[in-house]
Amino acid sequence: MNARPDHSVLADQEGSARDDLLMDVRNVSLSFGGVKAITDISFDVRQGEIRAIIGPNGAGKTSMLNVINGFYTPQVGTITFRGVERRSMKPHDAVRQGIARTFQNVALFKGMSTLDNIMAGRSVLMKRNIVWQMLWRGPALREEIEHREKVEEIIDFLEIEHIRRTPVGKLPYGLQKRVELGRALAMEPSLLLLDEPMAGMNLEEKEDMSRFILDVNQQRGTTIALIEHDMGVVMDLSDRVVVLDYGKKIADGPPDEVKNSQAVIDAYLGVPH
Amino acid sequence: MFYRIAGQYKTSYGADYALFPIKQDAWLLALILVFAFVVFPLTASDFMFRALLIPVLIYALAALGLNILTGYAGQLSLGTGAFMGVGAYACYKLITIFPEMNIIGAIVLSGFFSAAAGVAFGLPSLRIKGFYLAIATLAAQFFLLWLFQKWAWLYNYNASGAIQVPNTQLFGVTITGAQAPVLAQYFFVLITVCILTAFAINITRGRIGRTWKAVRDMDIAAELVGINLMKAKLSAFFVSSYIVGIAGALFVFLWRGAAEADLFDIQLSFRVLFIAIIGGLGSILGNYLGALLIVALPVIIGTVPAAVGLPISSAMVEHLNTMIIGALIIGFLILEPHGLARLWALMREKLIIWPFPH
Repeated sequence: MNARPDHSVLADQEGSARDDLLMDVRNVSLSFGGVKAITDISFDVRQGEIRAIIGPNGAGKTSMLNVINGFYTPQVGTITFRGVERRSMKPHDAVRQGIARTFQNVALFKGMSTLDNIMAGRSVLMKRNIVWQMLWRGPALREEIEHREKVEEIIDFLEIEHIRRTPVGKLPYGLQKRVELGRALAMEPSLLLLDEPMAGMNLEEKEDMSRFILDVNQQRGTTIALIEHDMGVVMDLSDRVVVLDYGKKIADGPPDEVKNSQAVIDAYLGVPH
Repeated sequence: MFYRIAGQYKTSYGADYALFPIKQDAWLLALILVFAFVVFPLTASDFMFRALLIPVLIYALAALGLNILTGYAGQLSLGTGAFMGVGAYACYKLITIFPEMNIIGAIVLSGFFSAAAGVAFGLPSLRIKGFYLAIATLAAQFFLLWLFQKWAWLYNYNASGAIQVPNTQLFGVTITGAQAPVLAQYFFVLITVCILTAFAINITRGRIGRTWKAVRDMDIAAELVGINLMKAKLSAFFVSSYIVGIAGALFVFLWRGAAEADLFDIQLSFRVLFIAIIGGLGSILGNYLGALLIVALPVIIGTVPAAVGLPISSAMVEHLNTMIIGALIIGFLILEPHGLARLWALMREKLIIWPFPH
């Protein structure tokens, strides 16, 4: 599977010196009142890799994704994305910068068709104003068709042609997850955040989804950061893994190294803290 | 039988975006337009125009405006009547301040006043949702109504407190005022409604329509796919109130001829809301079906029993009307929340595969 450069040698070095750095998370802490969700976490994501974030329930993984795409503002720390440092931003600005995500619980627009859901993902990329939209001629129609072609490529890629016109509320769970991936891809992100893309799937659906994730990474060159509980999937897919427990980072490195780390084994097996 | 999709292939995405992917739908619309533009004007009586055709069109337009806000963007509003009032009063002030102004110009501009009012009262939608937003728009309803009553400048200090529509002409034909021929008024309303409906269809199926629907279905996810919630909600309030304002201007200028502030009370808001609900939220066609039902019902109850020798008093007509509409709303909310438009869509699906069950 691994035709990509081996990152393991440099895995534990300081990331900021590298020129293929896509995102750098520095000393981020996030708390809700007295509850500390994330404590002083630093890690980086390199261009073109699949980065996994794992950890037991309540470790702060989803909070971390929410910080990355601007849904939460961390009290301490910075995030540098493509060389631009920031602490707080609106989620729609994160999308504009090229960060797209999917959700743990499917968050599709249930009343809209598959096609409309994926087209909605391209809203940020569409420019024509309301006057052109009203007329539905010339530039507005051209733009619509142009984006439709891109969306059809994604539909083709994810093999969901047959449900193009179906309202997504009527689709089975596995397909909904796939549509959600399609919607995230439609944003043409440079960093794709996947929050438990395989939760609640059977083996076959997991295999399909894994294949799509690898294809997205290799064919479209999209960098991926994913949260997943299925360790087999994580170890097979990812280039590097960061492990969180109780909001702290306890390990960071290539899958094999992380797998054998005593701290990780303790966290998963539950050693008294 | 009539609906057959066999043999109608699309070879480009452009063709797929045709308004009527199925040819038979286009024929059906053409038929309806022929009736609206040719058959009714040739056959209908003045009573038909005044009691049925013109109000159906105007109510349908108002419901279309509300539907954009409530059905497409998911923001509940109870202030429709007041926003119609803003359109009507703005049009009245424009016409009386600038008497030489073209009536079309006045109506087009008056929509912007109600759109501004809509955006202003839509600001709370950035913070609150659902029933709480409905209460906020209710405040708009009561505040604006109060303003129409108390701000005498709005009705030019008339002793009666009512606005009286002046005579205006368009291409040499009197369009508004007491002497205006009803046929000319009907055509004016019909054309306005057709144009605005076409615009509404185009907006709702394009990018802006998708952002509205995304906000309606799940606002957090909409924000995380890059939709600016503030822009989406306020643009929905703008477009919706614009259309509602135009409907209000038509309501007074081309139908009622005069208006007091009370005309735009909460009853009107509810009436338009009922039309949108019975017709079908999130549908354009539904507004017409709903308006047809709500406006035609009292006319039918008032004329049909009398015609078959069963005269009933006008008070009875009123009671029957209220009872039937109430029952219909309860029935629709329980049985078919998507309204008449969904019934039509189901029927169409059945017709396409008829005589086979699936």
